[in-house]
Amino acid sequence: MKKLWEVRELSTVAILALEIAFFTWYLWPEGGRSHPFLNTANGLLILKYSSIYGIAAVGAAIVIISGGVDLSPGAVIALSGVVAGELFVEGHWSLAASALAGLLAGFACGILSAILVVGVRLPPFIATLGVMGIARGAAFIITKGRYFDVSGALPPGWRLLGIPLDWTSPILMIVLALIFQWLMTGFQWGRAVFAVGGNETAALFSGVSVARVQASVYTIAAVLAAMSGIALAVVQGQGKADLAMGYELDIIASAVVGGASLAGGRGSVAGAVLGTLIFGVLRNALPQIPGATFYDRLIVGLVVIVIVVMDQLLLRRRK
Amino acid sequence: MAAVEFRHIDKSFGAVAALRDVTFAVTDGEAHAIVGENGAGKSTLLKILAGSLRPDRGELSLDGSPVALTGPRDALARGIGLVHQEMLAFPNLTVAANIFAGREITGRFGRLREADMRARAADLLARLHLPVSPDAPVDRLPVAYRQLLQVARALAFDCRILALDEPTTSLTAGETDHLFRILENLKRDGVTLIYVSHRLPEVFQVCDRITALRDGGYVATFRRDTATTDDVVQAMVGRVLETRATVPRAITPEPLLHVEGLTRAPCFEDISLSIAGGEIVALFGLVGSGRTEVLETLVGIAPPTHGTMTVGGRPYACRSPRDAARAGVALVPEDRQREGLFFNLSLRHNLVLPSAEARRQLLVRRAERETSAALLRDWRIRAPSIDAMPDSLSGGNQQKVVLAKWLALRPRVLLLDEPTKGVDVGAKYEIHAVVRELASNGAACLMVSSDLPEVLVLADRILVMREGRIRGEIAAAAADEESVMRLAATAPGEAA
Repeated sequence: MKKLWEVRELSTVAILALEIAFFTWYLWPEGGRSHPFLNTANGLLILKYSSIYGIAAVGAAIVIISGGVDLSPGAVIALSGVVAGELFVEGHWSLAASALAGLLAGFACGILSAILVVGVRLPPFIATLGVMGIARGAAFIITKGRYFDVSGALPPGWRLLGIPLDWTSPILMIVLALIFQWLMTGFQWGRAVFAVGGNETAALFSGVSVARVQASVYTIAAVLAAMSGIALAVVQGQGKADLAMGYELDIIASAVVGGASLAGGRGSVAGAVLGTLIFGVLRNALPQIPGATFYDRLIVGLVVIVIVVMDQLLLRRRK
Repeated sequence: MAAVEFRHIDKSFGAVAALRDVTFAVTDGEAHAIVGENGAGKSTLLKILAGSLRPDRGELSLDGSPVALTGPRDALARGIGLVHQEMLAFPNLTVAANIFAGREITGRFGRLREADMRARAADLLARLHLPVSPDAPVDRLPVAYRQLLQVARALAFDCRILALDEPTTSLTAGETDHLFRILENLKRDGVTLIYVSHRLPEVFQVCDRITALRDGGYVATFRRDTATTDDVVQAMVGRVLETRATVPRAITPEPLLHVEGLTRAPCFEDISLSIAGGEIVALFGLVGSGRTEVLETLVGIAPPTHGTMTVGGRPYACRSPRDAARAGVALVPEDRQREGLFFNLSLRHNLVLPSAEARRQLLVRRAERETSAALLRDWRIRAPSIDAMPDSLSGGNQQKVVLAKWLALRPRVLLLDEPTKGVDVGAKYEIHAVVRELASNGAACLMVSSDLPEVLVLADRILVMREGRIRGEIAAAAADEESVMRLAATAPGEAA
């Protein structure tokens, strides 16, 4: 069995805990006022916003472990949100049917990436760059600049399966993370994803259906991005074409901070979700520090570099 | 005066000691051969000389003074050039750019002086009698020229010491002669040559003195004029040769694997063979004769253009190693690093992957811990645990893992491509024992090997391939190195 301290996710948890402790201390209010950072409402806010990245990061981690990369999640988030929003708000479809249509749009993007990577044998970077353009373009064509307020069209006080709206996307993220963590470790499919990412040729020679594994990871990643798009549309009410611009890089960064290696064969779904929380806390707490707002992106960049360098050093020492 | 002196050099890779206390000297201006079997440490020693590896202990001295090389650039600056076994050329660049790669002739502000480099390259090419233009892209050149290009590169930096690592492996007889003429000229110009090879006739043709290494240690240095081939072989091998197994195996009356008229243009054509259960058949041929390609087609890596295959009497068509495994046909590939192992996964994962995939297993099974532990135990793989990573194992044990990962599946037909390439002698015998045991259990084994002693000792029958066709079959009991080689080689100069 693995020793406890060899579990990579623990160091991500430690960084997250350290980060929360730092902001709790730094933002400690004077004279018994309520804490601006450490309170339930703010915690929920962080979870709610992080979950949009987190749901997509589950898929991104799987793609990266398989040795690929997916640049399309930001665009797929926008497309699925717009499709669901258009059908629900303007088309007066039921919410379930609109959401399903949004998922299908994501599924189509995933199939397209899979065909380009597996069938046409394009490098994943190029294939998903193309799909990113197509999905974003489709979103603009559908909306023609319009904006759909999905939550505004919902009846007031609407709940999904009895869960308050704000809680739905964090719960969805946690459930998906647990399911895919289990699929990646307890199922032969997950083993095959690690094998293909570690050594594609050896995987082929060992009887792994490399094509099927690669097709599955791009499709799953796109469907997960679509879920996150629908969550964004329903929970935060936003459905517009220029949504989630540049999210793909934050999502990839989260997966990497969570222990995934862009060389493939290494990483975890749980780590990637924890990675999105690390960034989620940063994005939430930094604006509360006077004058720090403009440093937000800079600090995010530094955090990525520092964590990955630390990871490399630890890995080298273990060898 | 010693141009190069190795003093008590030690070098290990993980658990494997590649060099142990190696001490000898190369005299200025001589041609000095380093010979030894696979895994004897020849290439490691050259890499230390070329600055790409640093010794763990011991020192290297040049012209009598100790040096600590900081890298290949430093070695080059001190006049040491290395011609690699692998082609380290940049195929996307021109001949001139390859010769000067990393050490370009530059003007002010680092501007490239293309004309100077082209002229210099043309001179060097003429000196090497290479009829190519400095502007030719390297990927259009024949393989032999690429190797000579490395010689040109070494000369461009006025190397006094030129080390060549198995330079003739992929050369034809004519090209080999050309290389040897160039080496003669260099020697006359006062260049010290260090020539690594396991082809003894070449070594005796080119070199003044011969140093033999065995299992990472220094054995002896011979003078060409006083030593015989037998002396050198004795020093290289240093042990009683393995003998053929005398225990007879039960051989099934019906062939397990039957192949008729198998053709895959342009690699091989009209291959027909039958292997019964319990038989070990060797497919022998020189590099490029199409042996590996036959095995790859048998597991569906590349489809045949013609021909039929049956396994156990049933028609056999496979489009991938996955199909092959499901039909009971497994390939142990040649390159364990590239095609065999997952260095990101533990031995346990490596060992159970093929059988789990072939059985279309959905869940990871608890029993895999026992399965993989049993494989390590049964096949005597020396590893700390089933959770160890493959890179902590020696080459021989890694090779046994690649073999063992198929054995959980109990393949009916086992295809082996160079099963003991780059493993030490002890591991080699153990792998031979594994193959014999599998055959005794009824598997049909087809083995490709360039190692003639291995073929003679392990196989029941030998099929000899040359230029994509089977040129003959010899019962191994009646075969010797000469009769097999005669069939395999077109020109006598190609014989190893």
